[in-house]
Amino acid sequence: MEMTPGGPDEIRDPGVGPAGGTGTDGEAGQRPSALVTTAPRDIAQPIVVPNTLWASTRPEAYGGGLPTEHTHLRELEGSPLLIRDDARWGALDVIPTKADLVLDLIRMNSLWPLLSGLACCAIEMMSAATSRNDMDRWGMFPFRASPRQADVLIVAGTLTTKMAGPLVRLWEQMPEPKWCVAMGDCTCSGGRYKRSYATIEGIDRVMPVDVYVPGCPPRPEGLIYGMMKLGQLVKERRGQWPGRTVGPTVPEDV
Amino acid sequence: MTTTTPPQHPSADDPRILLDDQIGAFEAVPPYPPRTEREAEFYSLGDGEMFLNMGPQHPSTHGVLRVVLKIDGERVVDLDPVLGYLHRGVEKLCETSDFHHIISQLDPLEYISSLFMEWAPVMAFEQLLDVQVPRRAEYIRVLTGELNRVASHALFQGWMALDLGGLTPILYSFIERDEIVEMLAAITGQRMLFNYFRIGGVNGDLNHEFMSRLGDWMSRASVQNQANTDLLNDNEIFVRRMRGIGRLDRETALRMGTTGPNIRAAGVPFDIRRAHPYSVYPELEFDIPTRGHDGGGDSLDRYLLRIDEVKQSLRIIDQCLHNMPDGPVMAGLPRLLRPRPGRAWAAVEAPRGLFGTYVISDGTDQPFRMKIHDPSFVNLQLVGLLMKGNLIADTMAVMASLDPVMGGIDK
Repeated sequence: MEMTPGGPDEIRDPGVGPAGGTGTDGEAGQRPSALVTTAPRDIAQPIVVPNTLWASTRPEAYGGGLPTEHTHLRELEGSPLLIRDDARWGALDVIPTKADLVLDLIRMNSLWPLLSGLACCAIEMMSAATSRNDMDRWGMFPFRASPRQADVLIVAGTLTTKMAGPLVRLWEQMPEPKWCVAMGDCTCSGGRYKRSYATIEGIDRVMPVDVYVPGCPPRPEGLIYGMMKLGQLVKERRGQWPGRTVGPTVPEDV
Repeated sequence: MTTTTPPQHPSADDPRILLDDQIGAFEAVPPYPPRTEREAEFYSLGDGEMFLNMGPQHPSTHGVLRVVLKIDGERVVDLDPVLGYLHRGVEKLCETSDFHHIISQLDPLEYISSLFMEWAPVMAFEQLLDVQVPRRAEYIRVLTGELNRVASHALFQGWMALDLGGLTPILYSFIERDEIVEMLAAITGQRMLFNYFRIGGVNGDLNHEFMSRLGDWMSRASVQNQANTDLLNDNEIFVRRMRGIGRLDRETALRMGTTGPNIRAAGVPFDIRRAHPYSVYPELEFDIPTRGHDGGGDSLDRYLLRIDEVKQSLRIIDQCLHNMPDGPVMAGLPRLLRPRPGRAWAAVEAPRGLFGTYVISDGTDQPFRMKIHDPSFVNLQLVGLLMKGNLIADTMAVMASLDPVMGGIDK
């Protein structure tokens, strides 16, 4: 695979070849790589339609006459990096990776929660999904109504003994890989209803939990933080996987 | 000559495989023999009828309500709500909590209008203790309570549209709701379960952040409310979908004990704030809006009435801000409260109707018994009457217009 060697002082266009013959790998530079697509140098001129509809109040701003205040980009203007369209991948043409890493990145950035609110925390969960705290910014938005399309089960609200069976059934209906976020004190430990005869003191008694978000209820920012933590777990493969057991996960050194 | 058949892997789709336990849908028919005549009548299918289970995990049931529908084609013949999926044993917990602690136990009942859940028990305890609440505290209670009512009705507006398939209004609803709860969080410290009212007053005085947020919001509240309303009321699909379904007539509403916006939308001007005045409501000017026509109201009436109520709430908030007296916000009380033995009933007009508590005190620091009367529970009785004969798709429009909250229903 062809990579761009050197530091910032040795910037060159990898798709074209070593600039000025200073490259160390001459063979790779002479033949065009089949894997690397080169952006065409001759960019078509834009079609300019004369503006007869409106006039600007500051004409100098549109004619290029306005002096730029950011001069640190001047150094890059002559370099071939700006000519090519590499806004997508940066200076690298090839990203060395594993398929697993890509899959993990995809999973991490599209955590689809299940739309299952049990009690009070569900309102804050909905608040996290709507305009003010927009969970969609991290790809967490599409609340699926069906467990078969969901990745994350956000248990939002008190889990009662009567609801425990349906909730476990929901969890079992979700396809692997799947994760569980316990939102609120009631789901973490029982919270303010710990003494009640009808509640389950923490959902980790009936299903595995990846992230605990305490609070009664936690703010939407708290839920988003918990989901971002879950994203880290997913990326690092530290989430709970099919061999997991029911119960809280305690690290070795605690 | 023998042919070896390849080994067949069992598939769940294979009809020859009998699964031991029912995986998938809930059993609509209970496994026990019918215990009441009503159960026997409901769980016997007529010609062409079938059961359809809805819930407890369903995006439109406003929580964890489970409804078993008996349908004939697309029509709902009968239905049976199954409650208890959020039963947290609040009444029993109240019997083992002291009077200060009870306020926090009752908060999560109707979790989108928590202040009213605190207001009723606090008023009942004050009756038992013969406490005179400072006038400033009463005004703060009315002010924050009406703010909470606006937030609750804003959420109703969004959910109503969401249950009918419109996603946009809930985004605007949550903008309103988040602004209100953030300003309430400035004085209460919490966004949802405020735990703000105390026996003999409120927990803290108004502060600068609350007042600045409130002024900011009040300057555009009515305009924003009108904009949110126009978004739905000018929508012909929404209006035609809501009109004429779930018709609740006056006599039925009175007979079933309906309270709140649901009975006012049927044309009965019953409001606890006017019928049994409490706090400083007698000093404030506001109207009791009613809707309805031909002696009854449909889903659209119930929806429109809540918008009328928001306007009245804004009026009350404005008057509270102008008439707010100076003074303390807490009455002097000992930390350990032992009220006289006796009984007290207090009711407030919550966003969903009459919310009341009936307290029996035996002279200790814990109540002997505490009964919670929740409006959602009473209003939910109506679904059996209103949904019969409707289409399946209209059940959501009817149920959303009744605006039940499962935390209050199951307690």
